[in-house]
Amino acid sequence: MNYPDESTYGNKADIISTVEFNHTGELLATGDKGGRVVIFQREQESKNQIHRRGEYNVYSTFQSHEPEFDYLKSLEIEEKINKIRWLPQQNAAYFLLSTNDKTVKLWKVSERDKRPEGYNLKDEEGRLRDPATITTLRVPVLRPMDLMVEATPRRVFANAHTYHINSISVNSDYETYMSADDLRINLWNFEITNQSFNIVDIKPANMEELTEVITAAEFHPHHCNTFVYSSSKGTIRLCDMRASALCDRHTKFFEEPEDPSNRSFFSEIISSISDVKFSHSGRYIMTRDYLTVKVWDLNMENRPIETYQVHDYLRSKLCSLYENDCIFDKFECVWNGSDSVIMTGSYNNFFRMFDRNTKRDVTLEASRENSKPRAILKPRKVCVGGKRRKDEISVDSLDFSKKILHTAWHPSENIIAVAATNNLYIFQDKVN
Amino acid sequence: MEVQKEAQRIMTLSVWKMYHSRMQRGGLRLHRSLQLSLVMRSARELYLSAKVEAHEPEVSLQPARSPDPRLHRPREAEAEAARLDGEQPSPEPMDTQEAPRAEEAPPRGGPRPAKVSRKRRSSSLSDGGDVGLVPSKKARLEEEEEEAAASPEVPDRLQPSPAQAEGAFPNLARVLQRRFSGLLNCSPAAPPTAPPACEAKPACRPADNMLNVLVRAVVAF
Repeated sequence: MNYPDESTYGNKADIISTVEFNHTGELLATGDKGGRVVIFQREQESKNQIHRRGEYNVYSTFQSHEPEFDYLKSLEIEEKINKIRWLPQQNAAYFLLSTNDKTVKLWKVSERDKRPEGYNLKDEEGRLRDPATITTLRVPVLRPMDLMVEATPRRVFANAHTYHINSISVNSDYETYMSADDLRINLWNFEITNQSFNIVDIKPANMEELTEVITAAEFHPHHCNTFVYSSSKGTIRLCDMRASALCDRHTKFFEEPEDPSNRSFFSEIISSISDVKFSHSGRYIMTRDYLTVKVWDLNMENRPIETYQVHDYLRSKLCSLYENDCIFDKFECVWNGSDSVIMTGSYNNFFRMFDRNTKRDVTLEASRENSKPRAILKPRKVCVGGKRRKDEISVDSLDFSKKILHTAWHPSENIIAVAATNNLYIFQDKVN
Repeated sequence: MEVQKEAQRIMTLSVWKMYHSRMQRGGLRLHRSLQLSLVMRSARELYLSAKVEAHEPEVSLQPARSPDPRLHRPREAEAEAARLDGEQPSPEPMDTQEAPRAEEAPPRGGPRPAKVSRKRRSSSLSDGGDVGLVPSKKARLEEEEEEAAASPEVPDRLQPSPAQAEGAFPNLARVLQRRFSGLLNCSPAAPPTAPPACEAKPACRPADNMLNVLVRAVVAF
């Protein structure tokens, strides 16, 4: 991997909280803690500059969400963007969904490169002329102007979630989408903002009996009636909306029996699934818990088909990680376009890739010191114990404040976007 | 003993985290509260089982206490917590009727094991040397605190301050404030005072020992 490209921010509001390529990979959207969305666009490749294979440059920036105050509950609602999901492109404009803890918004991003000129209804100062003085009908002419990209909120889907929204997912029918919070999942139609259907509700009648919450949810990429949601207990439920209106009873239930040798004081909380993603083929799902990434075959519910250790050396450090709150970090995971490689983040600005076919894995680091333009990223290694080799890093030297929670993979090419706190790194594979 | 101290430390830490999580922007997070309460429960079970092992030989010699006051105690504590809670904004539920329950929900986890263990604790174990598990008078409360304070394992900032003679039944918020004042003061984001105290008048509830105070603290949140 080479050719890093980064945007640098300075303060806490600039911490990137979500990264997402659109369906063609032409656009890359990031959301941050300050409620802003920044969209990057890939430069068209030109014959003159063969070496610059499509850089990503800023295309549009807009404020998606503002901090709000819920007066009834005396609570501030954070403006942090939790998730962005693109809609497939159907015309010249781009559409994306962005959400904070409580409200989902549909944004339209469109270009304007022409301007109508020649109105004769206003005078030079812009004041409306007296209609009696207008004697001719003049049709305005469209003249070219500097390209302007504007983002407008087309729909606001509010007041449907009591708890904090953790996921949104666009359905393959392109007419509906779902939003999931800790206890409920709602189905929306893009055209209707004042109503949503509740399709999953795991809130117990007596809150004292609460034992698990919903942590992530996603629609099947091809079957518009199927979706999955993961729980804090490490289970995944697959639901079919054709079975009933309220999908409280799952069609499939994926759970791996606990390994008793791994049982520890913090077992319960590290088994919580932080992300669930369907493969592009729709045949597999991938889940991320605190220490591992697992791949499940939809046809086998009793255990995953593959388990990858992301940073097993942290297993003995769980107590310290509980103390510094790192044990609650929610890492995401992504598939590459062909579903052959999976990627997820770790600490010290490390991120890991696992090749499902060759069973090889690599640890890479996203940092400015190690990433010069067109330099090849050097694989990193964490030394677990015993003698530390020269370029290895010991577990105790890892910087736990530098965590990579959000990554994205281009839908068809080997281009990845890695968010390291408030920096965004884009790496491309050097093919030729 | 080591296990006990570690479990105690984790419990204290968890309560502090729960308290602190109320202050953060966006309000109380259900998932986080649930996870903290799971750790609290595991720590408590570990603490209790370690206690049981330590006091096993003494149990058979001493008469068991009557279970009734202790069974009433949890309910009174819940009512106490509900009263406290009514004064504070409850982030999760929409109607006030649910408010106390929602706050109690995360720490309870599975109600069956919690209730079972509470019952087991009260009926099978006696007082005497068993400070941690049996309702005790105020004097014992101070003893427990001194014991904890003397523990070298507990980091300084987590040590509870010495008990003050506040009357027989200190209100939960004041107990928390007293115990964790050092903790709260060293964090810039933490408020200087505990949540508004409601002057409860529990008539016959025996003073809680540290373990039960921690459990009630969790309930109050």
